[in-house]
Amino acid sequence: MLNKFGPAVGRRAMMAGGAALGVSAGLPDAWAAGRTRFVTANNNPYDILDPHQVFDIGRIAIRLNMYDALVRWVDNPPKLDMWLAEKVDIAPDGKVYTFTLKPGVKFHDGSALTSEDVVYSMERILGMKKGAYGLFSDVVKPGTTKALDARTVQFNLAKPFAVFMAVLSELWVVNSKVVKQHEKNGDWGAEWLTRNEAGSGGYRLRRFDPAVGFQAERFQDHFAGWKPGAVDDADFRVAMETATRVLGVIKGEFNTTDGFLPAEQVARMRESGKVNFVEAESIRTFYFIINNAKAPLNDVNMRRALCCMFDYDGFINNILGGTVVRNTGIIPNPMWGAPKDLKGYTYDLDKAKWYLSQVKEKLRPLQIGAMSGYPQSEQGAQMLQAGAAKIGFDIKVVTEPYTTISPKLDDPDRAHDLVPLWRSAYFADPHNWTGYIYNSRNFKSGNSSFYKNERVDELTDKALLLTDQEQRRPLYEEASRILSEDAAGLFVYNTKYYGPFTKNVKSVRFCPIGDAQDLRWIAMES
Amino acid sequence: MKSLRRMLRDRALLTGLVIVTLLVLAAVFASPLSTFPEHVTSFDPSQRLKPPGERFWLGTDRMGADIYSRLLFGARLTILVAVVATTFAVVIGVPIGLVAGYYRNWFSDLLMRVSDVFLAVPQIVLAIAIAQTLGPAIQNVILALSVTYWPFWARLVYAETRSLRNEVFIEAAIAMGASPLRVMVLHVVPSIASSIIVRTTIGMGATILAAASLGFLGLGAPPPAPEWGRMIAESREFLPDAWWYATAPGVAILLVVMGFNLLGDGLRDVLDPRIRRGGQRGG
Repeated sequence: MLNKFGPAVGRRAMMAGGAALGVSAGLPDAWAAGRTRFVTANNNPYDILDPHQVFDIGRIAIRLNMYDALVRWVDNPPKLDMWLAEKVDIAPDGKVYTFTLKPGVKFHDGSALTSEDVVYSMERILGMKKGAYGLFSDVVKPGTTKALDARTVQFNLAKPFAVFMAVLSELWVVNSKVVKQHEKNGDWGAEWLTRNEAGSGGYRLRRFDPAVGFQAERFQDHFAGWKPGAVDDADFRVAMETATRVLGVIKGEFNTTDGFLPAEQVARMRESGKVNFVEAESIRTFYFIINNAKAPLNDVNMRRALCCMFDYDGFINNILGGTVVRNTGIIPNPMWGAPKDLKGYTYDLDKAKWYLSQVKEKLRPLQIGAMSGYPQSEQGAQMLQAGAAKIGFDIKVVTEPYTTISPKLDDPDRAHDLVPLWRSAYFADPHNWTGYIYNSRNFKSGNSSFYKNERVDELTDKALLLTDQEQRRPLYEEASRILSEDAAGLFVYNTKYYGPFTKNVKSVRFCPIGDAQDLRWIAMES
Repeated sequence: MKSLRRMLRDRALLTGLVIVTLLVLAAVFASPLSTFPEHVTSFDPSQRLKPPGERFWLGTDRMGADIYSRLLFGARLTILVAVVATTFAVVIGVPIGLVAGYYRNWFSDLLMRVSDVFLAVPQIVLAIAIAQTLGPAIQNVILALSVTYWPFWARLVYAETRSLRNEVFIEAAIAMGASPLRVMVLHVVPSIASSIIVRTTIGMGATILAAASLGFLGLGAPPPAPEWGRMIAESREFLPDAWWYATAPGVAILLVVMGFNLLGDGLRDVLDPRIRRGGQRGG
């Protein structure tokens, strides 16, 4: 297989670039003459290639491009397409899902993808307890997933789970034969798969260096086929500095970068005349996690006071230049289940003072843990700090990398009082923004606010047992209202995506899940 | 008197002195000098990223705060860190150097090997490790810098003391029954004071630069403290358009570090008769 030291050049690539190879060995840009090459500049390191160890947006390009799942999210608003699966049979009790796989699906090593690989991948997630484990841990028990024949796989859930189809998009299928060969002391091949790839996805790994990024070439035999203009060579590079990424796109060194840049940089790229923008309202809410377990934040009036100290208008329209939209609840506005008339809170220091006077717990200075390297997180923190300072309430801001903040979120005693961050879309269902992060069953595996409300638990549990969207909608709307009433978090805005692309990129199919990093949907001029 | 005249004639030294004096004045009179003193803790989002002009002399930052006012108040932090950290380094380093240099036994070897260990690790790397472990706060920056800078003074004092140890006047003092402490404090220290002063002045510049580096990495004083290093870090996102954002604190750091270096260099020329510049000029 492939590893970071040996760029295993495919036979087809050798032929395509054959003539050029002799004269330009060592020049990665030129070896593939005549092939299209798409470079993405990412603001997050690609340190782990294993699709079952990570579950975030920063490294999603690895999973989207080198691996496949039974289903796949496409377009905006997101819709769920059958992907590796040809059809699914759901038992009336909502507990048995039987999938038939598409015929002729091949892994990058040429071997066939079978239901055994799907079973192994599910067991691997449950066994390693990392990445997207929290999505499945409640409903899929180890050993319950069966391969009925080479193309039929059956999931036997512990209880009905309405979003099962939706979260299956995170069950990335790995080549079980290859991974098993590299297992060491029951590590599920984790050490090996961190640096290598064993998927069936649209792109096959050529080169990987955690400090630089990864390169992949188009997998010609991919089961979904290819349309003209598809990218031949994919290059995902790490560039932490915003200015570097922006300049790189303007100069054409990068074809795209993240779509959530400061308004000034978007304007700069527009003025250059060398960049096209794909604009879309995404589903990614910015909010402050509030540690509901720690006094005085366990007092609803303290949390409401905080919600009245934040200058929403100043933040959205001045600091962010109106590039985002106010979102009064946790569920993004465009998502079904978001109540359309939710008033939420406004910047009102008199009200904040009144709420503070109602707090029964002893007041103390609060601490915001802002994510360093994410200027909006820092600026949001400073905005709340300044609002509080105006009424003499003391808030301290510490900036720490997300990798330092994140582990603390599992422990109410160590967690910061407030953490400003985004809730991205991992699957397009209101559960992603409500049950997953506010149901008290999910303490330590999603509910980082340590928020507990019996009605919210009941609503979000019940919504998972129903399959009809129209029946589920009112449950999520009510949950969202309660979360706002209880000020479970400080909800600020929903993101708009401004994806910059160089002019030679002909078409892009944006999907909020993955933020257009799924190269299959990008077409380039050759 | 002679020294003073020599000092005034040394242009480099004078420049350094002027810069350092200005820094001290800026820190002391930050409130009356600043145009928006309230912008140390608050800001005006509607005035975000305004270029330098009549109202905001050095422009505004990403939150809409006046950079000029924040620079002035930042001078206080800069001086605080530099003075306290350097003082600690001197207080730790000088006695260790004296003891190690005066005696010739296993204990002085031990002291010097310990300081060698500290010197072997790049200062800034060690400071980052300490500041990261303790968390971002101004007192942790001071602690990190004090802990990493003392060996420089220990080395210097050790070497000077070792060479003085065999001088006739020291031996005479010992022969007359002076206690080691008396010899060290009354005879050795005055003789090496000029070296310590020079090293300390230059060390201030290095400390300021290191503190700014820690601030740049997010390990300095937390917001809203007007930390120069962090101001530069924040500005990166808006380069090159908001050029003033990085330039103002950048130039401030450059000037202050240069000021201390010039002052230190100049003092060495004046105080150290062996390398007095221009030989004859000072007489």
